[in-house]
Amino acid sequence: MSNGGAPSQAKRDGGFEREPARRVFAAELRECRYQFREGDDEKSPTFVLLPSGERCNRVFLVGTLTEKQRQGDQNIFYRGRVVDPTGTFFVMAGSYQPEAMQQLAKIDTPAFVAVVGKPSIYQTPDGAFLVSVRVESITVVDRETRDLWVLDAARSTLDRIDALAQGTAPDAPRIKEHYPALDPATFRKMAYEALAQIKI
Amino acid sequence: MDFSKTAERISVKIGQKGQSVDKKKIEAKLRRLVEEFGVQPAEAERSVTNELAKEFNPTGIGDGSGGGGGAGAKEDRSIADIAPGEWVTIEGKVVSILSPPSPSIAQSGIIADSTGAIRFVAWAKANAPKMLEGTWYRIESAVVDEFKGVANVKIHSGTTIKPIVEDRALIPSVVKIGELKPGIGSVRVKVVQEWEAAHERMLQSGILGDESGTVKFVIWKDAGKEKLTVGTVYTIFHALVEEFNGRLSLNLSTATYMQDEGDIAVSGGDTEVRGTIVHIAPGSGLIKRCPVDGCNRALSRQNYCPVHEIQPRFVYDLRIKGWLDDGKKTYNMLLQRDVVESLTGMNLDAAKELAENNPLGMDEVFLRMRDAVLGRYVVCRGREIDNRLLVRACERQKMESGDHTALLNRAGGAA
Repeated sequence: MSNGGAPSQAKRDGGFEREPARRVFAAELRECRYQFREGDDEKSPTFVLLPSGERCNRVFLVGTLTEKQRQGDQNIFYRGRVVDPTGTFFVMAGSYQPEAMQQLAKIDTPAFVAVVGKPSIYQTPDGAFLVSVRVESITVVDRETRDLWVLDAARSTLDRIDALAQGTAPDAPRIKEHYPALDPATFRKMAYEALAQIKI
Repeated sequence: MDFSKTAERISVKIGQKGQSVDKKKIEAKLRRLVEEFGVQPAEAERSVTNELAKEFNPTGIGDGSGGGGGAGAKEDRSIADIAPGEWVTIEGKVVSILSPPSPSIAQSGIIADSTGAIRFVAWAKANAPKMLEGTWYRIESAVVDEFKGVANVKIHSGTTIKPIVEDRALIPSVVKIGELKPGIGSVRVKVVQEWEAAHERMLQSGILGDESGTVKFVIWKDAGKEKLTVGTVYTIFHALVEEFNGRLSLNLSTATYMQDEGDIAVSGGDTEVRGTIVHIAPGSGLIKRCPVDGCNRALSRQNYCPVHEIQPRFVYDLRIKGWLDDGKKTYNMLLQRDVVESLTGMNLDAAKELAENNPLGMDEVFLRMRDAVLGRYVVCRGREIDNRLLVRACERQKMESGDHTALLNRAGGAA
């Protein structure tokens, strides 16, 4: 957390600013290994560093909810799998997100869903990494919304890769430090393949 | 003991510096020191002399910046040019009197000349004559001070105030909103938007705009204050320009405002945001508003208006408050009834009927509207103020095959 990249959003001082929801494909989110927090305040947001070059406190994703599962006895929570053209998002909603949990509980699979949520990285006892999204809201949407999202996510991914290549990404030093082996071309190809699956 | 001789000596000394003090006041100060506090008469004379000297010439004590206060204070100055730390003599018209915020302040208000305006404060212990609104005065030997980053004129016991009998014309200089600075300002603006009053002492708040930008305004309830009409142009003289969190706002407590002819093309009136609705806030959907004329506040579930209490004869309305997110920036959006109706496809009558015939009542409207718009791609047009987007038109985005092709080329081009 040492090196300085300026925050990607304007104005840290003077008032609360809501963190925007990044558009990320499942195949990229799955590769996240580094999360950090700026500032020592209890309320300061936690960011997951996207390998394509941007910090991310919130994501917006649209895909197909293929599976959902109720878990826990006393602390009930729901897990779900949301599939996009590149892979699978793991989403969850617990009793701390009662509204999101009720929304998720009501949805019958399969369905196109739009999810707003906060990503975080977990490490399992055997050393594997798992990136999961804590749901803030989940709604059933139509195919057109899904298609619009694929375009949006592809555009955002390409924007991030370009900013990183041009050195204008504020978190570029962090990327070098934490994802030294990653080739941004991977994500360009991923975006292309996702777009190719959309039929107009 | 007789203090008049000592008082006379002190008064002569002060007089040599070009100031004059009431001898009775000096006598009283001396008497208090000697009789109440048992100070030696010589020491009392010294301390009273020093006290007065300090009061009249603070810049003389180890502060070279202002130059000799005595001399500079005699020259007439334009209000626009004076700066904190100076001693000044100004001639101006009292354009506004404010109710004093504290008993130690006898009077405060705004004094203006043709170059500008400044706030003045007369301390209670200065015993200055009360000034009248609308009258011109010559204020000699006042101190310019700074309070909350804004210059103001302090009237102390050494200041002389003389009314100017002749009636002079005062033409305030009107500036653009973009040029406003903390202090006092006059503007010609259009009322862009009116907000629900957040406080019962508040008469009205909202947004004013001109070609250069927009600014928040507030009018507090005070005798003779009238509300502004949305969509109308006003010339506002001598409003307090206040700064909070780096943003300016206009407080019209001190201002005179009058309706003006014509129209102003307000800038920032047409922002287009393409993004997704990522949150619908409580208070969206079908709401009840206070029926009292000019109030229109949203009522609580128990029909309680923060100002007019229980209002069983409320008026229904539709609105959506939420967050619109384009992936880079998030806007706090507000949709009014007509925009809500066209976006959700549910009109006010349908919403009322749904609420009345459903066990969940108004919640059912909220849930249906949420499910209809949350997570959807929309294009919103409206006015943006500090991240707030007051939406005039909002529609669902459509899939464009051109976008798809362009992105495919972009992604594939460098692969």
